[in-house]
Amino acid sequence: MTRPRIRWHIPVFLAPAVVIYTAVMIFPLVNTLRLALFSKIDQERVFVGLDNFRTLFFDPIWSEQFWNALGNNFWFFLIHMLVQNPIGIVLAAILSHPRLRFSALYRSAIFVPTILSFVIVGFAWKLILSPIWGIAPSMLDAVGLKSLFAPWLGKEEYALTTLALISVWQFVGIPMMLIYAALLSIPDEVIEAGEVDGITGMAAFWKIKLPLILPSIGIISILTFVGNFNAFDLIYASQGALAGPDYSTDILGTFMYRTFFGFQLQLGDPHMGSAIASAMFAIILVGVCLYLYGVQSRMRRYQL
Amino acid sequence: MNKARTNPLNTFAMHGALIFYTLIALFPVFVILINSFKTRKAIFKEPLALPDTESFSLIGYQTVLKQGDFFLYFQNSMIVTVASLFLILLFGAMAAYALSEYRFRGSKLLGLYLALGIMIPIRIGTVAILDLMVSTGLVNTLWALILVYTAQGLPLAVFILSEFMRQVSDDLKNAGRIDGLSEYTIFFRLVLPLVRPAMATVAVFNMIPIWNDLWFPLILAPTEATKTLTLGSQVFIGQFVTDWNAVLSALSFAILPVLALYVIFSRQLIRGITSGAVK
Amino acid sequence: MTALTLTNVNKSFGAVHVLKDISLTVEDGEFVVFVGPSGCGKSTLLRVIAGLEDATSGEIRIAGEQVNLTPPSKRGIAMVFQSYALYPHLSVRKNMSLALRQEGQPKDVIEQRVANAARMLNLDPYLDRYPSELSGGQRQRVAIGRAIVREPKIFLFDEPLSNLDAALRMNTRIEIANLHRQLSASMIYVTHDQTEAMTLADKIVVLRDGRVEQIGSPMELYNNPANQFVAGFLGSPSMNFFPAGLVNEGDDRTMGVRPEDLFLSDDGPLLAQVIHVEHLGGDTNVIANVQSHQVTARLFGQHSIEAGQSLRLGFSAQKTFHFDADGLPAA
Repeated sequence: MTRPRIRWHIPVFLAPAVVIYTAVMIFPLVNTLRLALFSKIDQERVFVGLDNFRTLFFDPIWSEQFWNALGNNFWFFLIHMLVQNPIGIVLAAILSHPRLRFSALYRSAIFVPTILSFVIVGFAWKLILSPIWGIAPSMLDAVGLKSLFAPWLGKEEYALTTLALISVWQFVGIPMMLIYAALLSIPDEVIEAGEVDGITGMAAFWKIKLPLILPSIGIISILTFVGNFNAFDLIYASQGALAGPDYSTDILGTFMYRTFFGFQLQLGDPHMGSAIASAMFAIILVGVCLYLYGVQSRMRRYQL
Repeated sequence: MNKARTNPLNTFAMHGALIFYTLIALFPVFVILINSFKTRKAIFKEPLALPDTESFSLIGYQTVLKQGDFFLYFQNSMIVTVASLFLILLFGAMAAYALSEYRFRGSKLLGLYLALGIMIPIRIGTVAILDLMVSTGLVNTLWALILVYTAQGLPLAVFILSEFMRQVSDDLKNAGRIDGLSEYTIFFRLVLPLVRPAMATVAVFNMIPIWNDLWFPLILAPTEATKTLTLGSQVFIGQFVTDWNAVLSALSFAILPVLALYVIFSRQLIRGITSGAVK
Repeated sequence: MTALTLTNVNKSFGAVHVLKDISLTVEDGEFVVFVGPSGCGKSTLLRVIAGLEDATSGEIRIAGEQVNLTPPSKRGIAMVFQSYALYPHLSVRKNMSLALRQEGQPKDVIEQRVANAARMLNLDPYLDRYPSELSGGQRQRVAIGRAIVREPKIFLFDEPLSNLDAALRMNTRIEIANLHRQLSASMIYVTHDQTEAMTLADKIVVLRDGRVEQIGSPMELYNNPANQFVAGFLGSPSMNFFPAGLVNEGDDRTMGVRPEDLFLSDDGPLLAQVIHVEHLGGDTNVIANVQSHQVTARLFGQHSIEAGQSLRLGFSAQKTFHFDADGLPAA
């Protein structure tokens, strides 16, 4: 009998966000997936089905680049997982020590690289590692390791790893902060109970803290995954769109940029660019789903 | 201090490790900054020395100011960042309020729809975004960037803000209703002031990636008039690769505003991250 | 005149039926208390009256006018919330005057009413402070002041004392009772504390599982409970229930005796094993087992009884209640 009033304020509150999000994010995303199914033949847009993907995966010219970029991308991700996250966890573990002085100062300083743009980071390291300037060789010389120096960014076999390490240097602050927060949320009583039971120092870390921060480590892993498979800026800023030397630092982001806009003699191809974007989308989606269903749902969250 | 529980050797090792890593983190920034104030000769002869009266030089900064329109770039970055943050916060907070305050059909689904964008990077849609901007005539305007960053920032903003808005007491909002405030007044006058700390967190989270982005300025607004500081310094450095003074000064120019903002907001940022807002 | 009439009010949240066919009236100037265990729907009922929730069906009339579709601010009600719900960013004065300014009342009226309310509640020295600078009791008074200035037809109180400590609760209870006398306004007060209900109410509405169990004056309910639930809910310590068979062989009803009606008696019908004794000074509460049934006896004055001893308890037959298996009175 009482008709509920129409609550106009609800659509008013929702509309701006939903409209902008849909128009600028979701619609282009869907449209990009759609564009990947077309091609330009004689100035006309023609539906070609999965042809672009066939070209991407099996045409020798394209597939060589694609698998190279994908492989590089996985290597890039692997280095982050193996270097960035362990360093972040160690730093957080030290910083969360309850009786450590200056911890806020250390935290802020270690986070500085994270706030810098890729352009700054890329060039700064390029200069420092440059054999012309010689900061890196002379510093290695000071500790007697000059023979180890090589123009790392210029050598095919080292360039990608070097860039990954630069990226690690830049972003180590993020896992550090997230783990630090997780460690702080462990109640002191739990740690003290362990202490009374004789579980101290490293044992306390392995047996009490680590199991409790596993969910945070899971989140950091998936954030790293999405961030890495979406990366572009650092490589573009320091190595250019060609991701030299000889494509050895090419990842999906730079590959898509080059394909979409063209470079040197090759013309830009939005449809192949879309196909690469769709592949990236699929990879990220698979990664996120694996995480959500495979890892997160199985991980025990402890009530703290 | 409790002696029985503190091992001086451990404390020493902890500080040692942290100081070592802090040096690694700050060293490149330090090298760039000090060398930007030196003559070309001094840069190469003694790259690690602080500038002194003999080696001090502002030649690099003079080149930068003469050759590049850095104040315009800076202004563009400022406009884009501030406008995007404003829209993210306003629209994000409005949507978060609707989702957290009202029960209506499809609210769960809508929340899920908006949350999709947290995990999927907006760059995937670049090809179609460029199409869209070209067809609406927004390409090469700052609006293109503002819209993209707003869309990119909204999902996480809605997510974080609705978590916080759920904590605002229902009694308070109901007291407002009984006092005759409209739903809009309740939102703007009662709820928004109470979630200000969360808004600051969202702002700081979004500020850095927007300010530092290279991809969208490069693709959507690369003209001289719309270059952001990040793109501007990238292009400038590319042109002046061999002029070390100019490159180092341009890098310092790009570092300083971010560093200044960081010094101002670092407490907010770190509190935001550690408050578990990104769980 | 009738301040409030509810007719067959129902409220469902999805499939959950929270209020079931509630009908009641509140007369002008009456102090009505809704009481019941948590989850009984008393707060929801108050929110339906306030207009914060829509009734699923049924009719709500305030001062004779149907208000089902009237927004809360137009219903002529004012509400005092459990958490006080003061606007944290407004001073006490602004907190109290916001609703009036929203209504567009002239300045001098607003000032006058705020001054009156502040005087009545001893809030004068605090008018320019912010809620965070006040103690719990002062915040409570501001919340009440905010209601008073609106000169509502009905005051609604949602468990207003539950956030106060015991001493303050007693004082504020007396203050609210005084206020009711001074304003002679209609008030509806929700609580789960039967002491508050007994001490404040002209009329008590006992609710359980969204249904009205009984309506009446405190003494009516105390002396003539409509069922075993009401009998057990009102009174502290609560009424003892045990099988009447313990006293009269073959009686299958449940017998109820209030703790204060039990007394020590050498030939009493109940042989009790004392498990615990609470010495309150003025009273002594004896908790004891009669076979496997726990009973509480409230004895006036001080007694030297110890746990472990056994004693005999008696009661007068006029002071007993009997209930059948459904909890209904059975003579």
